[in-house]
Amino acid sequence: MTTIAKVNATALIADDEPLLRERLRGHLARLWPGLTIVAEARNGREAIELFEQHAPQIVFLDVHMPGQSGIEAARAIARKAQIVFVTAHNRYAVEAFEHGAIDYLVKPYDETRLADTVERLKSGLVRPNAESGAAIDAALERLAAELERRGTPSAPARLQWIRASVGSSVRLIPVEQVIYLRADEKYTLVAWEGGEALIRKTIRELVDELDPQKFAQIHRSVIVNLHQVAQVQRGINETAEVHLKGRSDVLPVSRSFVHVFRQM
Amino acid sequence: MTALATDIGSRTKALLLSVFTWKRLLFTVVTVVVITALVQPIFFTPYHELVWQLLAIALFVQLAFSAGEYWALPGVPRWVAQVLAVVLAGPLATLLLQLALVGGSWSAFVGHRGMVHGFFVVTVLVLVFAPSMALGALYRQRDAQAQHDALAFALEKSELEKQALDARLKLLHAQIEPHFLFNTLANVQELVESGSSLAAPVLRSLIAYLRAAMPLLDHIDATLATEASLVRAYLELMHLRMPDRFAFAIDIPPGLAGLRFPSMALLTLVENAIRHGIDPAEQGGRIDVRAERLVSGEVRVSVADTGAGLLDTATPGTGLANLRERLLVFYGSGARLELAENVPRGVLATISFQG
Repeated sequence: MTTIAKVNATALIADDEPLLRERLRGHLARLWPGLTIVAEARNGREAIELFEQHAPQIVFLDVHMPGQSGIEAARAIARKAQIVFVTAHNRYAVEAFEHGAIDYLVKPYDETRLADTVERLKSGLVRPNAESGAAIDAALERLAAELERRGTPSAPARLQWIRASVGSSVRLIPVEQVIYLRADEKYTLVAWEGGEALIRKTIRELVDELDPQKFAQIHRSVIVNLHQVAQVQRGINETAEVHLKGRSDVLPVSRSFVHVFRQM
Repeated sequence: MTALATDIGSRTKALLLSVFTWKRLLFTVVTVVVITALVQPIFFTPYHELVWQLLAIALFVQLAFSAGEYWALPGVPRWVAQVLAVVLAGPLATLLLQLALVGGSWSAFVGHRGMVHGFFVVTVLVLVFAPSMALGALYRQRDAQAQHDALAFALEKSELEKQALDARLKLLHAQIEPHFLFNTLANVQELVESGSSLAAPVLRSLIAYLRAAMPLLDHIDATLATEASLVRAYLELMHLRMPDRFAFAIDIPPGLAGLRFPSMALLTLVENAIRHGIDPAEQGGRIDVRAERLVSGEVRVSVADTGAGLLDTATPGTGLANLRERLLVFYGSGARLELAENVPRGVLATISFQG
């Protein structure tokens, strides 16, 4: 016990909120006078930089930080220090933390909870557990996967916004509001619920980026929002015409794209 | 067949259980004891024998009353069947009892003047008391039924109220992010513990925000001013948390402050600006909330941030789609919500309506 009580160590605190860094620093000073805070970081990138600069034994990492998250920083630091995550996200962290490989604090935490963490950190420094490295890596993998799952859908990222110049500003048009897109000499014409606009992206680029469940190319130069189609009329020579809901525009369907509507 | 037999069996069991509850038995016994005491002077039979005889009759009548409840004839109202059963069972029970007393001999019964006399007296007694008591019991039953119905109704009502409240809470939960609330509370905790003079104003902002955010969910009297104060409380809290990388300004001209405005609409835009613009940007940024009236009379309320900007592939949350719908419902088809790139960076969200 005496060895543990006297443990001296160095630590890094990373949190984007200054008051919370201050709070953690204050509590740690009281609970663990032998601990020196060698640096404070405001985001994941700074945390990694400062870690490499100071090589502290302990890193307190806020999970949710701008730029690189605490979890990304933890993966970079990995086994070189003891990591304690600090998070207000009770739900997504706890499951991954439950396996016990990594300690965590849920904000707002109280001093007793922090005291437990301090005790664990001290005994970890005195008796490093050689087997825990793999467990830490596994826990970080799970956390990163969880963060990924929450942040961005696992499906390939589809175009959700069309940037179009309208007057002097660049409008962000949600693709749901787009009715059709048609090649127009150098530009592409976007017809949407709020009017028409020209963009530089080509039909070919757009076909690849838009969600094929919602948009279909029906002509070399035309993409239509399938939800906006009122009916398809067969024409001569295996072509067709698309009539739109509540609009008088008629779009051509060329022979090579008629199959789009075959099973409808 | 078996089903019918089981049905009759279970009905009989239910009947017996309902007849011979302690409460009912006690009531019958007390009534019989009292009535016997009252009528005893006109009988030759000693009191203790008369009590047993009348009690036997009373129990039989009670059984008939309950039987009327369980085997009501189709087309006959239940209470009629029950009173009828009582009227018929009274004389029948008396007769059977008298016959039993003389060993089952009809001639012995008819030949005994006292017996016949007793039969008539008891029959009259039963016919006087039993139907009125039956009616009284029926009345009480109906009362109990009404009370039961009222309770069931109250229960259902409170259940519905609870559901409505749950729905509101869910909405609230969706609106006030736990992440925001707990992080803010963690900040407040530090301010309080360190004895900072900021603690009081920050708590004031938090309270103002919560107070405004909670009842406003379905508030139809919201104005641009009430919405602006909600947004201000929220932004002040965010500024407290990120003092080094976030600044904001709100400019609502006094002439527009009183305009009707859908509650939480501006807050949705400001929350988006924080979440998608300021939060992910290492350098942070600023948010400017403005309202202006164009020469055409149209009112524009905008939220501009200088944060990270929107990725082409950023999935639009349901918040914006919901807001678009709410604006149409609130202001009619002239209302619009438009997003544009802000200069030099970030996003500019604009609500336009005829106000």
